[in-house]
Amino acid sequence: MPGLLKMSQIRALSLWMLMVVLQLVLVPSQLAGCLLNPCLEVIPNKTFSCMGLNVSGVPAEIPHTTQNLDLSFNNLQSLGSNYFSSVPELQLLDLTRCHLHTIEDNSFKDLQKLSTLILTANSLQYLGTAAFNGLTSLKKLVLVETNIASLTDLPIGHLHTLQELNLGHNNIASLKLPKYFTNLTSLRHLSFLSNKITYISKGDLDALKEVNRLNLTLELSLNNIKHIQPGSFAKIHLGELGLRASFGNFSVMHTSLQGLTGLQVNRLIAGEFSDSEKLVDFQRGLLSGLCQVQMQEFILVCVRGFEDDTDTLFNCLGNVSSIRLVNLQLEKMSEVPMFSQVKQLECKKCKFQEVPATKLSLFKELRVLRITKNKNLSSFRQKFESLRNLEVVDLSENHLSFYSCCSPLFPGCPNLKYLNLSYNSIIRITGDFTNVKNLLYLDLQHTNLFGPGSYPVFLSLQKLIYLDISHTRTHVKSQCTFCGLNSLRVLKMAGNSFENNQLANNFKNLSHLHTLDISSCKLVQVDKNTFDALSELKELNISNNKLLSFDPVVYKPLQALTALDLSNNQLSVLVDSALGILPDSLVLLDISQNLFECSCTNLNFLKWVKEKQDLLQNRELMICHTPVYVKNMSLSSFDLHSCQLKASTVAFSVIALLAAAVFLFLIYKYYFQLYYSLVLLSGCKHTAERGDTYDAFVIHSSKDQEWVMKELVEPLEGGTPPFQLCLYYRDFLPGVPIVTNIIQEGFLSSRNVIAVISTDFLESKWCSFEFDIAQSWQLVEGKAGIIMIVLGEVNKTLLRQRLGLSRYLRRNTYLEWTNKEISRHIFWRQLTAVLLEGKKWNHEEAKLM
Amino acid sequence: MKTSDLLILVLLYINASTEWPTHTVCKEDNLEVYYKSCDPQQDFAFSIDRCSDIATHTFNIRGAIVLRHNIKELYAKVDLIINGKTVLSYSEALCEPGHSKLIFCGKKKGEHLYYEGPVTLGIKEIPQGDYIISAKLTNEDHVTVACADFTVKNYLDYY
Repeated sequence: MPGLLKMSQIRALSLWMLMVVLQLVLVPSQLAGCLLNPCLEVIPNKTFSCMGLNVSGVPAEIPHTTQNLDLSFNNLQSLGSNYFSSVPELQLLDLTRCHLHTIEDNSFKDLQKLSTLILTANSLQYLGTAAFNGLTSLKKLVLVETNIASLTDLPIGHLHTLQELNLGHNNIASLKLPKYFTNLTSLRHLSFLSNKITYISKGDLDALKEVNRLNLTLELSLNNIKHIQPGSFAKIHLGELGLRASFGNFSVMHTSLQGLTGLQVNRLIAGEFSDSEKLVDFQRGLLSGLCQVQMQEFILVCVRGFEDDTDTLFNCLGNVSSIRLVNLQLEKMSEVPMFSQVKQLECKKCKFQEVPATKLSLFKELRVLRITKNKNLSSFRQKFESLRNLEVVDLSENHLSFYSCCSPLFPGCPNLKYLNLSYNSIIRITGDFTNVKNLLYLDLQHTNLFGPGSYPVFLSLQKLIYLDISHTRTHVKSQCTFCGLNSLRVLKMAGNSFENNQLANNFKNLSHLHTLDISSCKLVQVDKNTFDALSELKELNISNNKLLSFDPVVYKPLQALTALDLSNNQLSVLVDSALGILPDSLVLLDISQNLFECSCTNLNFLKWVKEKQDLLQNRELMICHTPVYVKNMSLSSFDLHSCQLKASTVAFSVIALLAAAVFLFLIYKYYFQLYYSLVLLSGCKHTAERGDTYDAFVIHSSKDQEWVMKELVEPLEGGTPPFQLCLYYRDFLPGVPIVTNIIQEGFLSSRNVIAVISTDFLESKWCSFEFDIAQSWQLVEGKAGIIMIVLGEVNKTLLRQRLGLSRYLRRNTYLEWTNKEISRHIFWRQLTAVLLEGKKWNHEEAKLM
Repeated sequence: MKTSDLLILVLLYINASTEWPTHTVCKEDNLEVYYKSCDPQQDFAFSIDRCSDIATHTFNIRGAIVLRHNIKELYAKVDLIINGKTVLSYSEALCEPGHSKLIFCGKKKGEHLYYEGPVTLGIKEIPQGDYIISAKLTNEDHVTVACADFTVKNYLDYY
């Protein structure tokens, strides 16, 4: 027993644990479902999207002010009366895929302002007879994929305001419009797309007869119509009738179209889809039923199997004013009936190999012709003749290559105003535009051109307003490339090139030009007078070139400019004068993707960039290129203060330099005084020994005594620091032989010997004796240095006689005394420096200091 | 007991994640094709009528999806990815304004889209080897309508 108890305890415990774990896991997820996934508030208080949130009613959080509510992909199951009472202001309610099977009476009772109700993809099983009561403003009701099989029971007869009723993808088998359709007087669009309609009988559409419905679009495409009883559409006026992929095969289509007799329609769309299984082949007489139909526009899509020349495509379309043929496997143009009224003809994605101009010339009333996106269309040899009303010819996006554009191709088409030959292969422009000299608009972009650039081919297009020759491999060599285009307002020629990659005087006659696009033209330079004539120019795009500078002189004439694109060039800065010439009218300026230099030398420009944030486009692409440390930084985030800081550093360093210079100068000037005081401060206070009584013993001729007294003794002994000199006339002891004095007082007591060399010195025997002793003394003791002072001009011959002295002078540095101030200065510095060497300082001298 | 707790946790985790399962389109000796929806909102159904046909320029497919967005315009972008690198890119307009050449063009949110018919590749033939074909359909608002990564192991012989 105890063991069993224990087992059950364990089981209970683990069950409890499981519960806890489950709660832990599930509760947050439930919470998440409620809290983390509320309806998305697209427009505050007005538009909410609760798509796919698994709600089962109008969520409580939706305010009563809501106008648009998307409840699609939820699980509402059924709607009861006053279901939407909490949101009475609703204008749009989307209930797509809400698993609705039941809509009870008065479900939408409170939605008097609702204009759009979408019930797509709910397989409705019960729809109350008063289900849509109260929808007094409803304009659009979408019942696509709602399992509706019959119109009879559809409770919509009271929706007078209804404009669009979409019943696509249902199981409706009969087009018999119930009586209540006469009430739907506002109906503009009625779609039975992809239903099960097989027979249309007389009287089915009677409800449409009674009211004037010129603008009703009736969509019957993707049904499987087997027969239309003639008369079914008699006296019916429609805006548009869609009959694509509605018939099983040729004969059904042929006979059914006969049933359209008496119909009046603005636009009739017939044909197939490229992926529909039952592609109808075109055979003779397919459209013969349309002879009895009055229509403005006929569109035929995705039909194949045309037999060359023998088809009767246009037979019953003679009175139609506009024909569009899209995706037809039409290789040759069909026969054109006499007296055709066709004014507009479009062949898009057909299979022509040659422009069928001869046949098209039979459409005498033709005003607009478009043959586009024909992959095989390469040849244009036939002529459009005598189409006096022809105004627009669009032959773009084919593979045309021809060599005689353009006059010979349009004889007798004097009103041609618009010619589009863009996106073709190769066209040679001969310059002959005589037949089409009233052209206003000529588009040749993305077609390789021969002619423009080399010759003045546009001479006769005096009225042309718009010319696009972008990406046409045009190389502008001739200065007169655009001569004759005196009315031109727009010139687009991006992606071409100019001689020497330079704009010269190419636009001189284009004085009415408003827009000029010369982007991606490899331009390196723009000449001074290029834009002189363009005083009316409003937009200039010169982006994606290689311009290095924005020269104000060049752009100054452009005073009407409102938009200027200079992006993706190699500009480093807009200088002050360039910023000055930008006209006040300028509202868009793009200078992004240039190689800007973000240094303080361009401070004005960088300031200007910050000020003109509204004017400048693509600011995020305006980045610094140099210097390296700011590379890829946004121009507008460049710190202007860093420049001011730099100015102060510059000032600071200048001041510091000046101070240092002054300091050095002072040191230079007071070097010896400073040195002396330094020595004194360092506490070097040895008593001078014998032998160092004098700083120098002066050997000189008695005749130079005056000079020695004045120029040597006075400055040295009286200056700072003071030196003690040994002079024979002053310091020699009386009563002692001269030689002893010379040795004892002179050499032994002095640290240095100063020899004052002059002509007298050389002549004096005592002097030469003293000098000889000095020399030997220097040799023996290695002590006293001989400082030679050469006084002025010394007799060279005498010097040569005194060989020893002459050699000594050659081998040693000596001081020279001259009258020049600067030399004297150097003399004194050198002398003082030598004397200071090895000088020992004593107390008295220190005190003297 | 602890293992069962873990199992519950793992199951719940899988349930909560937005990964869609991988579906098999073809599994033959020399050809395997799998796909997985990369649209977090939904999975879709896809099949190829005859797998061996993918060696040809055009082959028939069937695909079904419930639209979460309108497709007044529809653009397809297909990338061929080998070793994580996009080698080829191909795009085509399936539905253009003013010209709905395919039946489903113009369908609205919530409608059921079913396509059965030929697909013509932008390239001559699909290459041999192991690679991923990433396909994405976007609408006029550049919103993803459907998105799938196809894993292809193709060792078919070409003649």
